[in-house]
Amino acid sequence: MSGLRLSWKKFSRDRLAFTGFLIILSLVLTALLAGVLSPYPEDTHKIHPASRLKAPSMKYLLGTDHMGRDILSRLLHGARVTLIIAIIAVATSLLIGVPLGLIAGYLENWVSELIMRIADIFLSIPQVILALFMAKTLGPSIPNVILALSLTYWPWFTRIVFAETRSLKKSVFIEATEAVGANPLRILLLHILPNVSSSIIVRSSIGMGYTILTAAVLGFLGVGAQPPTPEWGVTIAESRQYLPDAWWYATFPGLAIFLVVLGFNMLGDGLRDILDPRIRRSYE
Amino acid sequence: MDRKILFFLKRIAYFIPTLLGLLILVFLVSRVIPGDPAALVAGETATADQVKAIRTQLGFDRPLYIQFGVYVRQLVTGDLGKSLYSGRRVSQDLFERFPATLELTLTAMFISVLVGIPLGILSALKRNSLLDHLVRGFTVSGLAIASFWLGIMLQLFASMWLGLTPLGSRIGVSAPRVITGLFVLDAALTLNGAALLSSLKHLLLPALTLSFASLATLARFTRSGVLDVIQKDFILYERAMGLPPRIVVCKYVLRNALISTVTQVGLLFGLLLAGAVVIEAVFDWPGLGLYAYQSIVLSDYQAILGVTLLSGFVYVTVNLAVDVVLTLVDPRKAEA
Amino acid sequence: MRKKREESRKNTKGVSRRDFMKTVGIGSLALSGIHWSPIKAWAQGGSKYVWGCPSEFQSMDPHIIYDVTTENLRLNLYDHLYRYLDNPPKIQPWLAESYSVADEGRKWTFTLRKGAKFHNGDEITAEAVKYSMERLLALGKGSSALFKPILDPSGINVKSRYVVEFSLKEAYAPFLSIMPTFCIVNPKVVEGKAGPWGSEWLASNDGGSGSYILEKYSPGTGWTAKRFKDHWMGWKGNFVEEIEFRTIHETASRVMAMIKGDIHGCDGYLPVDQIEKLEKDPNVKVYEEQSMRISLIRMHNQRPPLNDVHVRRAISYAFDYDSFIKDVLKGRVARNPGPIPNNLWGAPKDLKGYTFDLKKAKEELQQAKVKIDRPIVINPMTGYAQTDDIALILQSGLQQIGIKANIVRETWPNLSSRGKDMNTSPDMWIHWISTYYADPENWIGETYSSSRWGAWKASSWYKNPEVDELLKNARTTPDQEARRKLYEQASRIIVNDAADVWIYNTKWYGPTRKEVKGMRFCPIGDGQECRWLSFG
Repeated sequence: MSGLRLSWKKFSRDRLAFTGFLIILSLVLTALLAGVLSPYPEDTHKIHPASRLKAPSMKYLLGTDHMGRDILSRLLHGARVTLIIAIIAVATSLLIGVPLGLIAGYLENWVSELIMRIADIFLSIPQVILALFMAKTLGPSIPNVILALSLTYWPWFTRIVFAETRSLKKSVFIEATEAVGANPLRILLLHILPNVSSSIIVRSSIGMGYTILTAAVLGFLGVGAQPPTPEWGVTIAESRQYLPDAWWYATFPGLAIFLVVLGFNMLGDGLRDILDPRIRRSYE
Repeated sequence: MDRKILFFLKRIAYFIPTLLGLLILVFLVSRVIPGDPAALVAGETATADQVKAIRTQLGFDRPLYIQFGVYVRQLVTGDLGKSLYSGRRVSQDLFERFPATLELTLTAMFISVLVGIPLGILSALKRNSLLDHLVRGFTVSGLAIASFWLGIMLQLFASMWLGLTPLGSRIGVSAPRVITGLFVLDAALTLNGAALLSSLKHLLLPALTLSFASLATLARFTRSGVLDVIQKDFILYERAMGLPPRIVVCKYVLRNALISTVTQVGLLFGLLLAGAVVIEAVFDWPGLGLYAYQSIVLSDYQAILGVTLLSGFVYVTVNLAVDVVLTLVDPRKAEA
Repeated sequence: MRKKREESRKNTKGVSRRDFMKTVGIGSLALSGIHWSPIKAWAQGGSKYVWGCPSEFQSMDPHIIYDVTTENLRLNLYDHLYRYLDNPPKIQPWLAESYSVADEGRKWTFTLRKGAKFHNGDEITAEAVKYSMERLLALGKGSSALFKPILDPSGINVKSRYVVEFSLKEAYAPFLSIMPTFCIVNPKVVEGKAGPWGSEWLASNDGGSGSYILEKYSPGTGWTAKRFKDHWMGWKGNFVEEIEFRTIHETASRVMAMIKGDIHGCDGYLPVDQIEKLEKDPNVKVYEEQSMRISLIRMHNQRPPLNDVHVRRAISYAFDYDSFIKDVLKGRVARNPGPIPNNLWGAPKDLKGYTFDLKKAKEELQQAKVKIDRPIVINPMTGYAQTDDIALILQSGLQQIGIKANIVRETWPNLSSRGKDMNTSPDMWIHWISTYYADPENWIGETYSSSRWGAWKASSWYKNPEVDELLKNARTTPDQEARRKLYEQASRIIVNDAADVWIYNTKWYGPTRKEVKGMRFCPIGDGQECRWLSFG
């Protein structure tokens, strides 16, 4: 069997990773097909105050919110918002953090120190506070939330890539390559990066889950998406004053967040087991 | 011994520049915040001219680096400036609200350790049993739940539907006489039964919610730490030699596992600090987290600077302390 | 434990909540019974009245913080020369026994009653009044914006021990009406303390003469006060010995605290769903009173495309007033098409105003000369969910006539400070104008006079020389009948110019525990004056 097929077989055997993968796949499909799957797709921007706060029924499977909008439809569209925010934020953090980590790990001079100190500084403030701070400064909107999240998550990538690069550098084959006189950039890209990639992939998956949670917090605290965007955190914040009677309003968006983050966490854990059995964390 | 001292010095030497960098970062971001700080100070009834006058008076129109210099100078004397919104001294605000967050965070940490570690150990020892699967399921889910949503669900369930706990704030009767600022402790020390009961009731849900993520993390790491140790060769050897399993567990497994757990305390503390902001917002808990959130929302950047610096300072200090403790306990870590 | 929780949640969907509570709640109810009764008894039995506040008390200084919620501290801890009582609000002599006006509204003389004391025993004299006004003007906060345009510190004269005279810079008919915004502070207690005019000290302390003396204060949690036995008004009948104003941010928490009996009263402008819940509770009585508190959407009259009257009229026709008032607010407010509350003199009785009419809106748009080439930004206020609702309804209506609008939430302090400068002022923002004092000047004079530009109330940046003249005359003429005609005329012009979108006038639905007697509502103070209360 080819290498890819072998990996896939291994992957599908790992129930954890595979379940996570299925959940993520459903999320992506939901996000793409939200317009088709939603019973009331116009409720992302239309309001019907006359049917406000209706309990779950055959007509409104998850009930309506305080403006009479179908919660199910808004949740499905919210998946789209969530995915976009998470993907772009994690990708941007990756693009910032990985190169910095590679450079810092490979070089062993003041540049390296500087990069790691800066990473430490960013890590010394709880990410929520820093992201909240930045999002408020830039103005509450989705692009600014993405920016704030990227600017606060990159140190995680840098740290991991730094540690791995450092230890790889001391390995025999790298020393040999250097001795032959290969260009450092070549070494970084062709030899170190591929070996670090499995950690990056695992970190990205867990990072997706983490970013989704933080984005929801920012939405909940009011510095993220603005109405009428159906972001999950924003919806939970809106629902609070209608509790406990309209319990459905607060419950379902939170369950959606839970499912999605669970999926990414499971996928990340599973990938970790498959890609790098050396780094055993907690799942055997 | 030399290596250890070098390590200490190195870590302490990193402390100051990290804090300074933190200060610069936060200061820069804060001065860019929209919302005119001078208008905040002037009050809502002031005219545009009066606002301009106040802006000059408070030095907000001077170049950034001068403002920064002034701020650092004041900081060294312990003056964190005045809140632009209330006019009160920021250091006073922080001092007054610190005990509330401390009480919440300590209790959450307490719950995490008391429940998380035993769960992790039991789960590892009884690997692949029903208990193990339950704990593993719990830890994976625990990190996937949005903490604010969990708080709201608990409020819905325990407070609104069952009427067992209050919805929020710290206490429902008069606060006990202040000794430490921690209501539970103060109430116990002054033998104030009503205050003790009320503060415990108010503390329950927020602390439980806050502890959830760190509890899950702690259980997870303890489990893997114990499993790591159990499978090491020397354990196998000891058991083969006939040592009763209980002694093997207590003597070697626990000690080695706990070491890896202690490394997590620093990380957990950061988790708890971050979580405090949103938990305090959900439960109306009058601590630093709520203060931070309100200051950010109000663009009160003197307060924002103060609270961010404080949290950064505490976080860095705790991590430093954890590192120091680790090096004393396990010299191998010094090599890292 | 967690699994059980998940199971129970699954059951709730199909089973009614009552059954659910019965099965799970019985054991816990017994438990909660044991825990709750001592605390409940404590809260209800003792003579302490607790009020739940939605916001915090940043300062206890009556000359610094001046908003509708903190009226509770000014009414209970301090006294004024004159005070508003009851509904419709009547101005009553309080610390002053009488007043007189001379020089065509330029000289106002107040005679204090003798023997009134501050909390520390000092007598209240004209010197104290002079000091207090000087302090208010010097600090430049609080209600000073009402006095600064018309009064200089040099115009305050102590005529005798109990007589003080105010010589205004110009004639100002509403001067008596704004007197209840000005608190008398004891100079002997404040002088020499930390901060300018002792403001750092007074922020956490008491310098007043009111019915209650400040006991404890904590900015995040609120304050408590004890009855002032030597208050000049004396105490007849039943009264409360202690009062507490407790900060409870979340609406749902306040409502639950009311139902549980932890608090005896709270703010009367709750969301409709919460009001209904309280009305159903057997232990809570919800008083209903017509208040004077206009809800409106501000428009920046000097910034394109809102500087074109046809665009503004189109927007006024694009808001679904009926749906909002009937469906969202369940008819618990009164439609108010003009700037002055309908129940106050000066509001024209036959004013029709705008209705939700998309056809008329489109017609107005066609007559517009300005191009709408950018989305309009609507700013609702953070923490006021109703402004979010209004913004959503407006956005939806605008979309139907082809105008794109973005919603961006901002806090009240940010918006009110942005509103001072024409360049930073919002396109459209949503707020209320409450009763700071009961005179049309509060709603129309301060809001639509171009001389008032630079204050948040005037953030519609409306300028009409005819209206300016009318309002100026109304401000300086002493005859109320003449003033009424002028205000009515000005209202009609302003509505025709569609300066803002006026939505409704609020009704006050004040929740109070049934055991509380003597509640006296006034649109100024919103039922937070405690000296009339007692436990029946």
